[in-house]
Amino acid sequence: MADLQPEHIVRSYAQELAALRDRMTQMGGLVEAQVAAAAAAVVQQDSDAATRAVEQDPAVDALEREVEGQVIRMLALRQPMAQDLRQIVASLKITAGLERIGDYAANVAKRSIVLAQFSLPFSLSGIAHMLRLVQENLKLVVDAIGENDVEKATQVWRSDQAVDDIYNAIFRELVTYMMEDPRNITPCTHLLFIAKNLERIGDHATNIAETVYYAVTGDSLPEARPKGDSSAYAVVRARG
Amino acid sequence: MSATLTSGASTIPGPGRDHALGARLARRRRMADRLVVVLCIGATAIGLLLLASILFTLLVRGLGGLSLGVLYKNTAPAGSNGGLANAIVGSLLQTVVGTAIGTPIGLMVGTYLAEYSRGSALGNAVRFVSDVLLSAPSILIGLFIYTLLVLPVGGYSGIAGCIALAVIVIPIVVRTTEDMLRLVPVSLREAAIALGAPKWKSIVLVCYPAARDGIVTGLLLAIARIAGETAPLLFTSLGNLNATVDFKHPATIITAFGQAMSSLPVTIYQYAGSAYQDLVDLSWVAALLITFGVLALNIVARVALRRRS
Amino acid sequence: MDMSMTENATAGSRSNAPATAATTEAPRIAISGLDFYYGTNKALKSVSVEFPDRKVTGMIGPSGCGKSTLLRVLNRMYDLYPGQRAEGKVMMDGDNIIDPGMDLNVLRSRVGMVFQKPTPFPMSIYDNIAFGVKLHERLSKAQMNERVEWSLTRAALWPEVKDRLSASAAGLSGGQQQRLCIARTIATRPEVILLDEPTSALDPISTLRVEELIDELKRDFTIVIVTHNMQQAARCADQVAFFYLGELVEVAPAAQMFTAPKQKRTQEYITGRFG
Repeated sequence: MADLQPEHIVRSYAQELAALRDRMTQMGGLVEAQVAAAAAAVVQQDSDAATRAVEQDPAVDALEREVEGQVIRMLALRQPMAQDLRQIVASLKITAGLERIGDYAANVAKRSIVLAQFSLPFSLSGIAHMLRLVQENLKLVVDAIGENDVEKATQVWRSDQAVDDIYNAIFRELVTYMMEDPRNITPCTHLLFIAKNLERIGDHATNIAETVYYAVTGDSLPEARPKGDSSAYAVVRARG
Repeated sequence: MSATLTSGASTIPGPGRDHALGARLARRRRMADRLVVVLCIGATAIGLLLLASILFTLLVRGLGGLSLGVLYKNTAPAGSNGGLANAIVGSLLQTVVGTAIGTPIGLMVGTYLAEYSRGSALGNAVRFVSDVLLSAPSILIGLFIYTLLVLPVGGYSGIAGCIALAVIVIPIVVRTTEDMLRLVPVSLREAAIALGAPKWKSIVLVCYPAARDGIVTGLLLAIARIAGETAPLLFTSLGNLNATVDFKHPATIITAFGQAMSSLPVTIYQYAGSAYQDLVDLSWVAALLITFGVLALNIVARVALRRRS
Repeated sequence: MDMSMTENATAGSRSNAPATAATTEAPRIAISGLDFYYGTNKALKSVSVEFPDRKVTGMIGPSGCGKSTLLRVLNRMYDLYPGQRAEGKVMMDGDNIIDPGMDLNVLRSRVGMVFQKPTPFPMSIYDNIAFGVKLHERLSKAQMNERVEWSLTRAALWPEVKDRLSASAAGLSGGQQQRLCIARTIATRPEVILLDEPTSALDPISTLRVEELIDELKRDFTIVIVTHNMQQAARCADQVAFFYLGELVEVAPAAQMFTAPKQKRTQEYITGRFG
């Protein structure tokens, strides 16, 4: 969308803006890989993948600091206006969001290592499904960042509802397992945290989508986002 | 896009840089520079030398004959120890009155041309005529006033001389007034008008003061020019060996304008070719007086202007 | 004017209709359907815009876009030059400014103007101020002294010049001269002050002083400022109007204009992507 605009008159400014976006997509790619590794660690109990997810964290953090420095420099030297200004300020928020997502992915990976020591009497299909959804959203939002694509940003923002729904279902499911057999409590608690982290990743992806939308259009998405995390109110009663 | 044109390190077309050639070219330029400087200084020196020799000759020849008697005695026939008093008074009167008549007219015409006539046919015609007048031989102006004011009346008169001088003053003042007013920035005029000033007030209260120095300089040039004019006076005020002004009777200052009137340039003209050495000496004194009178006027005016601004 | 339009503009509608963006008060000057011609060349095309009372309106746009032309319509400066004419409505207090019957000297005492380059008159500092006042009022010496002090104080120049009021204004620095010109303009107690790139000839510190002054003056005066410096418009103006090729492209509150303009051309211009 922004690419339909004429080139900036000052070429070095345009180059800086492009470089800023490159950093963000690069960071998005890293975070995507981190989440993918965390997913493999959970679903396939792949401990190598878990290590990879954890070890990528410093690289993501370094990119975030780099973007921050570049943003401050551009604000001081370029006095950006309008879309440029929104874009530059948005990149601060976007990288902060990506960094959080990376942290959650690392946390998921760590828990998967603990989880691997238990044999689970139930399937992880719910979590696996949630992982797939979250990864799809993340991929979409990283594309939206790279292409300034409002359509994709809006799509992410809409589909967060599905992530929340699955989270609620998993929450109930896990609580039920714990009530059935106290030996399930440790793995299920880890799984709960994993699910919660995935849900947070979804939320951050949504926030990033909102930021992209604002940066590109100058308007905000409506306040009332389709929000569906009702686990805070969920009560599961033991049957019988 | 145009990026391909300039992207990457650009190479400058042409052969590589030849420092020896550069040094040779620079040396040649320095020599040309020095030559031009020498020529300029030489030309200036020639001009200054001529001027200095004129002033020097004037001083040498004039100072000898300069005495108090010259200043209060009137012109008299050769050998009778006359002075220049009537010529000095006549020159002063004609210059002052000529300037007084010519300046306001020139000022107003210049103002019209600069402020009101922009692009109009009348303005262009007036400017053309004025410029022609500026370069007209002054003897023609003398002849013109002669047919206009001397022939019909039947006699030479001081006032005819004044008017002839005024006719010379007018185009000079027109030119400098117009030029100086045009140099006043439009923004200054607009600023006055933006405050709600009518046009005439913005001209009189803002533009004139802004153009003052230039206009005064032009006026001084005009005065210097007419103080030394001979030709137009020959046909108008003619020159008079007798005193027509008697300062004991102030009314004679007025009546003097009705008769032929003496003046320094005409006296110089008449005496310089004389066979009598005392008259030739007096013409040198007259020349000295005019030259240093104009010089003094210039210096005084410039000092006064500088002090005010 | 239609106030609901005003509401829409602030709420972020994509309406192309020009409107006042900053206020719901009655505007000081309301322009509608203004066309301006330099001979046969149309320099303003059906411009409609309002200048809210006691607010600063900034006008931006590339050179030759008509913003200065519009400024010079507001005090009929164009009348000085034959061949220039305006058509349309420029309403101030129920009068059409561009009506041929308008008393220009009175109009210009109500709509003052400060120019790009400082234009001190070749006279003393005191006389510079008194010049405009004398054109419209008969004041005693004491009253005039008071007025001179008042206007110089309002223009934040009094402390710097109070000991040399009879000195020539040409001896002031560029920034001081410009503030003197502002003092001279407010001395005639106008309602509207037009500023035509008032700081383009000044150094950055003098520029900030003038900007601070503008901020101070808007309590009493309606201010319209033309500027090439977008940051200046952002700093000074409550409402910003963007002109391009004689058309008013967009009017919006400054904050919206510089963060999220509605029009593509505005966006391209203020981010430096023009053409």
